Amino acid sequence: LNAVPGRAPRQRVRFLPAPAPGGGGAVELVAARVPVLADHPLVRGPRFRKLKIGAGHRLDVKASGVFVLGIGHGNKLLTDLYNCHLTKVYTVGGLFGKATDDFSDTGNLVEKTTFDHITREKLERILAVIQGTNQKALLMYSNIDMKTQEAYELAVKGLIRPMGKSPPVITAVRCLQFALPEFQLEIHCLHETQQHLRKMVHEIGLELKSSAVCTQVRRIRDGVFTVDDALPRTQWNLQSIQEAIRNCQLKVETELEKTLG
Amino acid sequence: QDGGGLREAMVGVARRLLLRRGLGVAAGPPNTRQLREAEEAAPVFQYAGKAARRKDRVFVWGFSYSGALGVPSFVRPDAGWKKPRRIQPTPYRLETEEKISSAACGYGFTLLASRTRDITKVWGMGLNKDSQLGFQRSRRDQTKGYEYVLEPSPIPLPLEKPQQTRVLQVSCGRAHSLVLTDSEGVFTMGNNSYGQCGRKVVEDEIYSGSHLIHQLKEFDSRVVQVVCGQDHSLFRTKKGTVYACGWGADGQTGLGHYNITSVPTKLHGDIAGVNIIQVSSYGDCCLAVSDEGDVFGWGNSEYLQLASVTETTQVNVPRHLPFKIGKIKEAACGGTGNVVLTEEGNVFVWGYGILGKGPNLIETAMPEMIPPSLFGWSDFSPDIRVAHVRCGLSQFAALTNRGELFVWGKNLRGCLGTGRMEDQYFPWRVTVPGEVVDVACGVDHMVSMVRSFT
Repeated sequence: LNAVPGRAPRQRVRFLPAPAPGGGGAVELVAARVPVLADHPLVRGPRFRKLKIGAGHRLDVKASGVFVLGIGHGNKLLTDLYNCHLTKVYTVGGLFGKATDDFSDTGNLVEKTTFDHITREKLERILAVIQGTNQKALLMYSNIDMKTQEAYELAVKGLIRPMGKSPPVITAVRCLQFALPEFQLEIHCLHETQQHLRKMVHEIGLELKSSAVCTQVRRIRDGVFTVDDALPRTQWNLQSIQEAIRNCQLKVETELEKTLG
Repeated sequence: QDGGGLREAMVGVARRLLLRRGLGVAAGPPNTRQLREAEEAAPVFQYAGKAARRKDRVFVWGFSYSGALGVPSFVRPDAGWKKPRRIQPTPYRLETEEKISSAACGYGFTLLASRTRDITKVWGMGLNKDSQLGFQRSRRDQTKGYEYVLEPSPIPLPLEKPQQTRVLQVSCGRAHSLVLTDSEGVFTMGNNSYGQCGRKVVEDEIYSGSHLIHQLKEFDSRVVQVVCGQDHSLFRTKKGTVYACGWGADGQTGLGHYNITSVPTKLHGDIAGVNIIQVSSYGDCCLAVSDEGDVFGWGNSEYLQLASVTETTQVNVPRHLPFKIGKIKEAACGGTGNVVLTEEGNVFVWGYGILGKGPNLIETAMPEMIPPSLFGWSDFSPDIRVAHVRCGLSQFAALTNRGELFVWGKNLRGCLGTGRMEDQYFPWRVTVPGEVVDVACGVDHMVSMVRSFT
C-alpha cells in the first residue's frame, strides 16, 4: 500500500528572495510555486503505518469457510451488517456410530453405537421437526406481539426474524448427501456458534437412536458474502482484495438499505 | 558409574517385566496409536436394530378436570408432591394398551377406538352424566355408575360377534356418542332427548347410569362415516347418501322441517342423487363434500356460514354452495366457522370468529384462502401441502403431509396445545414428538394420534 504512489505534494506560492536583475547585492522577492515541505515523503513518513481491520462473525479453529473482515470504513459497515441479523449458511459433515465429548471427531470417545437402522427418510423426518421447532423459536424471539395484524402479515411473507439478541435459531436444514456412516447437511442459521452446530449433529444422532460426531463445519455464506466472493489463501494480495471490495460494495449497500432503511 | 548404569539397566528390565505381566501402567499421555487401539477395542452399543418399528402413540392436551384427557393424576394427584393440573397446555403422552385408530372428542369427554378383534375395542373417558360412555360400574356402589371417568375405561358394546367385528370410527357430540362397526351397523349411546341416538324419545328418561346402547342397522347400504353435531347425528352410507336424526330447530337435520327426528331419515335437497364422500359437523351447521369436489351445506347460518346462498339464518334443506375455489377434497365444520381443503392443498376459511388470517378478519361469508407460507411452505421446501383439516368448536387444526400439526382459533382452556394461553390468530405449529397422523378437536381439549420418528 505504501509503495503505491501517493498524492502529489501540495504546492504553495512563496515569495522567495532572489538576486535583483540590476545586480549589486539588491534582493528582490520573486513569487515561486514550491512544494510544501511538510508533504515531503521523507518528512511525512510512510502513508500507512497500521490498518484498522475488524472481523465479522466468529469462526472457530476447527471450522472453515467464509470469514468477513472490514478495513477502515468497512468496520462501520460491519456493525450495520451485524444489526441486520442476516442468516448464515453452513455445510456440516457428520459421521454416525461414535459419540465424543466435544461432539467432533477429534475428541475423546464416549460411546460407539450401531447405525445400520438409519435411513435417509428417518433423517429427513428429524430434520423436518428441527426446522419446525426452530420456526416457532424464530417467531417467539422476534418479540412481536402475535395478536397484531402486522405480525400476521410479516409471518405470511416469512420476514419475522429476531432483530436483537437471541439464542441460536435455525431457519432451514436439508440433507445434501447421505452415505452411511457419513452424511452432510446444509444449515441456514442465525446467532449460532459452530459448537452449537456440532452439538446439533450429536443430538440428531441421539434422536435416531444412535450417535453422531461432526467432522466438518464450513461456512458457505455469511449474509451477502458467498464462497464465490471469498479470497483463498493464495489471493491475499492488494489487487485481489481491492477488487473483491469493489465487487461487494453494491451488494452490501442494497442489503443495508433494504433492512435498515 | 558402571554400578549406576547396571542399576539403571536392571530397573529398565524390571519395568519391562512389570509391563509384560500387565502390572505396570505406562506413564504420560496416551499417544495416537494407543488412542486408536482403545477406540477400536471399545464396545459397540445397539439401541435400535434393523427391525425396529415406529411406535404409535396418543397425545392429549387441554382441560383436564372433566377427565377427558384420561390422566387421573391431573385431577386426583396420586403422590404427595403432585399438584392437580387444571390445564395441560402442551401435548402429553397417554399410555394405551392397543394401537388407537380412531379418536373423537365430545363436550367434556373422549372416545378412543382400536381396530382390534379383541373383546375391548372402545375406551372412553371424561363426563358420563348422560351415559355417553356407556355404563361404567362404580366400585363403591355396584348399582350406580361413575359420573366422571378419569381413565380410559372399556365400553362394553352388545356385539353379536365380538371377536370378529371391528370398530371403524367413533364420533362424539354434546352428550351422545356413535360407534361405527364394519358389519354390525352403528351403536349409539348417551342423551336421547332430541332423538339424536336414533331411537324414540322417552319422556322423563333418566340417562345417567343407563345401560341402554341402541343399535342402528336400517340404512340403504353399509354406513361408512358417522358424524355427531351438537345434538344431532349424521350417517353417510357407501352409496353416497346421508341420513340424519336428532334436533332440528336450526335445520341441522336437513330434512325440510325444524322438528326433532328420532329415526335416521334420508336427506334430499341439493344432495339427492349426489355421491357424497365426506360429511362434517360439530355445532349446528353441517357440510357435505361430493366426489366431484362440490360442497353442500345446511343448518345454522347465523354466523354467515351459508350466507353465500341465502339471507335466512337457518337452512333446513341441503344447499349447494357455489364457491369458485377449485375442487374440494375435505370440509370441516366448527361452531361458528368452517374450513375446506382443496385438491391443490389450499385451505379456505369462512364464517365468524378467529378464522386464521390475523385479528382483522372476524367474519366473512365467502371463503378466504390462508397463505400456504403459514403452513411451512417456502422456496426451500416447496412440496409441503396440507393433507387434512379438522375443526373443534372455536378452533381449527390442519395436518401437513410432513406430519406437522398447525392450530389456530380461540384458545379455550389451553385446547390449542401451543403452551400459551392466548388466542392464536394465524396457524401455529404444535410441537409434538412424532409425526401426527390424525387429530380430533373438542370444545376445550384435543387428542392426536402420532407415530414416533424412528
